[in-house]
Amino acid sequence: MLEQPAVLVIGGGISGIQASLDLASRGIKVYLVEKSPSIGGRMAQLDKTFPTMDCSMCILAPKMIDCSHHPNVQMLTYSEVKEVKGSVGNFVVKVLKKPRYVDETKCTGCGICAEHCPAEVPNEFDENLGMRKAIYMPFPQAVPRVMTVDKENCLECGLCEKVCDLKAVDLGQQPEEVELNVGAIIVATGFDVFDSSEIPVYGYGRYKDVITALELERLLCASGPTGGHLIRPSDGKIPKSIAFIHCVGSRDRREWIGNAYCSSICCKYAVKDAVLAREHVPDARISLFYIDLRAFGRGFQEFVNRAKTEYGIRFVRSNPGEVIENPKTKSLTLWFEDTATRRIESLNFDLVVLCPALIPRGGAKELAKTLGIEVDKYGFFKPHDAIANPVDTTVPGIFASGYCLGPKTGDIPDSIMQGSATAARVAEVLAGGG
Amino acid sequence: MKYAFYLGCLIPARELGYEASVRKVLPALGVELVEMEGTNCCAPFSIQSLDHATWLALAARNLCIAEEMGLDVLTLCNDCYESLLMVNTILKENPAAKKQVNKILSEVSKEYKGTTEVKHMVDVLYDDVGVDRIKNAISEPFTGLKVATQPGCHLTKPKRIHFEAIRGFEALDELVRATGAEPVYYDRKEMCCGGPLRGINDELARQVSRLKLIEMKNAGVECIVTVCPFCFVQLDLGQLEVKRYFKEEYNLPVLHFAELLRMAMGMKLEDWEIRSHRIPLSQVLKDRL
Amino acid sequence: MSSLKPDFMHEVANTQRGKGVLICIQCGRCSSSCPVARLTTEHNPRRLMEMIILGLRSEVLPTQLPWYCLSCFTCLDRCPQGGDVGETMFAIRNLAAREGNVPDGVVTQARSLFDTGRVVNPTRMALVKREKLGMGKGQSTGVEDIRKILKRTAFDKIIGRR
Repeated sequence: MLEQPAVLVIGGGISGIQASLDLASRGIKVYLVEKSPSIGGRMAQLDKTFPTMDCSMCILAPKMIDCSHHPNVQMLTYSEVKEVKGSVGNFVVKVLKKPRYVDETKCTGCGICAEHCPAEVPNEFDENLGMRKAIYMPFPQAVPRVMTVDKENCLECGLCEKVCDLKAVDLGQQPEEVELNVGAIIVATGFDVFDSSEIPVYGYGRYKDVITALELERLLCASGPTGGHLIRPSDGKIPKSIAFIHCVGSRDRREWIGNAYCSSICCKYAVKDAVLAREHVPDARISLFYIDLRAFGRGFQEFVNRAKTEYGIRFVRSNPGEVIENPKTKSLTLWFEDTATRRIESLNFDLVVLCPALIPRGGAKELAKTLGIEVDKYGFFKPHDAIANPVDTTVPGIFASGYCLGPKTGDIPDSIMQGSATAARVAEVLAGGG
Repeated sequence: MKYAFYLGCLIPARELGYEASVRKVLPALGVELVEMEGTNCCAPFSIQSLDHATWLALAARNLCIAEEMGLDVLTLCNDCYESLLMVNTILKENPAAKKQVNKILSEVSKEYKGTTEVKHMVDVLYDDVGVDRIKNAISEPFTGLKVATQPGCHLTKPKRIHFEAIRGFEALDELVRATGAEPVYYDRKEMCCGGPLRGINDELARQVSRLKLIEMKNAGVECIVTVCPFCFVQLDLGQLEVKRYFKEEYNLPVLHFAELLRMAMGMKLEDWEIRSHRIPLSQVLKDRL
Repeated sequence: MSSLKPDFMHEVANTQRGKGVLICIQCGRCSSSCPVARLTTEHNPRRLMEMIILGLRSEVLPTQLPWYCLSCFTCLDRCPQGGDVGETMFAIRNLAAREGNVPDGVVTQARSLFDTGRVVNPTRMALVKREKLGMGKGQSTGVEDIRKILKRTAFDKIIGRR
C-alpha cells in the first residue's frame, strides 16, 4: 500500500457514488465532493428507468444512504475542488466548502425553517418548473438530509434561525477550505442539457408547453412539482396529444450549434417517456419525431416494437421544421414531412417534448484545467486511450467515469459499470500497480 | 464614412421613395454616398440560376468598380447584398474561382483583387454609425408604435456567411428601437416574403406573403418595416393582391426603414412618396405625414 | 420506369454549388421548414436531394421543382449536416438551364440583362420623375462590358440571344 491511501471522488452522481462504494467496501477511504447540496445527480431527477421501469430514486436512494453511512466515505457536499497539486500517489487537493449556513451536525432536515421562509425562487432540481424557498432541501430524499440556505436569494430576515429548535441555522457561517491528501482522483461530473432556445424554431423559452425531456421527467415524478400529474405547464390541463422531437442540438454540424455527436441515450429515454406518458394519459395521441432510431443494446429494439404495437405510439421518421403556437386554441402546431409517406403535414399537439443534446457540466472545463487533464473539442474529458484505457484520463492517477467522458458512455448501467471500473483502476494504483 | 453606393436595378426603376429617403438620411448621419458609374445588375438568384460563371463575373465586375474607387460597397437591397457578398466571399476564399473570374474579366479590362467589402445599409447603420448616434439624431420618436420588422432572407442567411456581418435580427430591431418604435416578435419572422416567385408563380408568391401577414397580424403590430425592395413590394402591393384573391384585409402599412428613420429625424415625407405606398400610411401615421 | 443515372449524384456534386448532396441523410428538416413545400407538392428540397441521390436525372431536370425555390436559404441554414441544400438547388437549376428548362419569367429578366445590362429598367415616366425631383439621371450602366461577359460565358446561348 502507498502512504496516501485515500481517494478523492469529484461528482456525487450515480457513477461517483458507485465508485465511492466500491472503494469504501474494500477498505479504502473516500472523500466524495459534490458541488450541489445533495448527492444523487441526474438519476435523482428521473422518474422511471429503462429497462426494468423501476422508480429511479428507489434504486438510487439505498446507494446514497450507503454513502452517507459508510465509515470509509466522507461526503463533502456543497463543496468544490479549487486546487490540485502533486502527482499519482500523492495529490494535495484544496476543497472549498461553501457555507450552507446550517450546522450539518445539528440539522435533522425537518423543514420547519422552510415553511416559515418568505423567499420563494424557482427550484433548479425541478428544472425551474416548481418553486423552493431560500432555505431548502433540493428534494425529499436528499443526502445529507440537511437544509441549505441560498444566500443569493435570502432576504436575511432571520426567521429560519428563530424557528429552529435545534439551533441548527448559523447565518454567520464562513466558507471553509479543506486540504486533502489523496493517492488518486476520480472525476464523474456528468452532463448538462443543451439550451434548446438556441434552436428558436421549436419555440423553447417562448412557449410554456414546449419542454425538455428532463423537465418532463420532473412532471412525471411523484415527488416533482405537480405531484406526478402530467399536465401542461401553461394551463394545468392534461395534454391529450404529445410530440417528442429527437436530436435537438445533437447530430448538428452547423458551426453555431457544434454538437456533431449523437448523445446516445435520447432515443432510449424518449421511447421510455412516451410509454410512461401513455400510462399517465391512456387516450393521448403520442408521436415521436426522429432522424434515426438508435435502439441498440439489450431489450431495446423489443421495447420499441412493443411501444408501437401495445402502446400505440406513432413513430415518424422526420425532423420537424417548426413549432408555432395557435393563438386561439393555445395548442402547438408542428410542421414536418413524414419521410415515409413523403407528405408534408401539420399536426396540433398539446405538449411538445424536446430531446436536447447532452453537453458537459457547467464548470467541467475549469475543473479539467485545475486537474490538468485534457478535454476534447466538445469539453468532454479525454481518456488516455479510447480503446485500451477508457477510464484513465491523460494524467496518471486521475480517472473519469460516466457522461463526463462523453456520449459514448451510454446510460445508467454503463455509468455504474464505469464507476466500478475506475474504482478497480484506483485500487490497482494504490496497491502499487500502474 | 465613405461608401461606393450600389443601387441595383429595382430601386431606381420602381422604388424612388426608398432611394430618396436614403439620400436624405445617410448623409445626415455622416455617411457619404459616392455614385458608382457603369455598374451592372448584381446577378440575383434568377440570373445565378442560369449559369454559375456568369454570376461570378457579373457580380465581380461591380466589385472591381468599387475596388477602383478604393471604397467598400453599400447596398440597399437584400438580393444585391446576397449576390455581391457571396461572390466576394467565394473569390476571397477560393483561388481557383478567382482565377476563373479574372480570366473572364480580362475581356473587359477588369481585375478582381479582393480589396473591398460589401455592406448592407443595416450593417453600416449598426456598425459604423451606431445606435447611439442615431438616437441623438432622433427628434420625433415613434414612441409606442408597434412594428413588425421584416429583415428579409438574405440579411441573415446563410448564417455561416452572415455570422460576422449581422447578428441575427438583433441589429435591425435595435435600429428600429432607436427610432422609438417597438419591434414586436412574431412567428415566422425568419420566413421569406415570397418575392422571388413573382413572375414565376404569382399564386405561390401570394400564398407565402400571406403566411407572413397572418403571423404579423396575430402579433398585434401596427405597421411593417422592410429593408429590401422585394420585401416591400411583396408586403405592400402584395397585401392588395392577398385582399383580392383571399378576401382578407390586414391594413398594415409598409415602410422602408430609411423612411421610418427619416421621419423620426424630423423630416416629412413628400406627397409623391406617401402616395407610392399602396397600403395607405395615413391609417397609422396620420399625424406624422 | 425510366432509366436511372447512377452518377447523377456525382455530376451534381462536382458542380461548384452542388457538393452538399453527398452528405444528405434524408432527415426531412429542410422540407419541414420550406415555406413553398408547405404550399405545393411540386417543390420539396428533401425530395430533390433524394432524386439526385437515386439518379432520377430525367425526372428532375425538366420539372418545376427547382424553379419554385425562393432561394431563401432556410433549408441550408436548418440542415443539421451543414449540407448546402439551397446551394444544390442552384446547381440543379444551372443544369436544367443547360438543357433548356427555364421559366418564362426568368428568360425575360435574362434577356433584359443582355439587352440593357439590368434585369429591370426604369420606365420613361420614372426617368422624367427623377429629373423633376432633382435626383439626377441615376447611375449609368456598362452595357457593352456586360454583353462581352455574357458572350464569353455562353450565357447568350442559354437564353436564346446571339
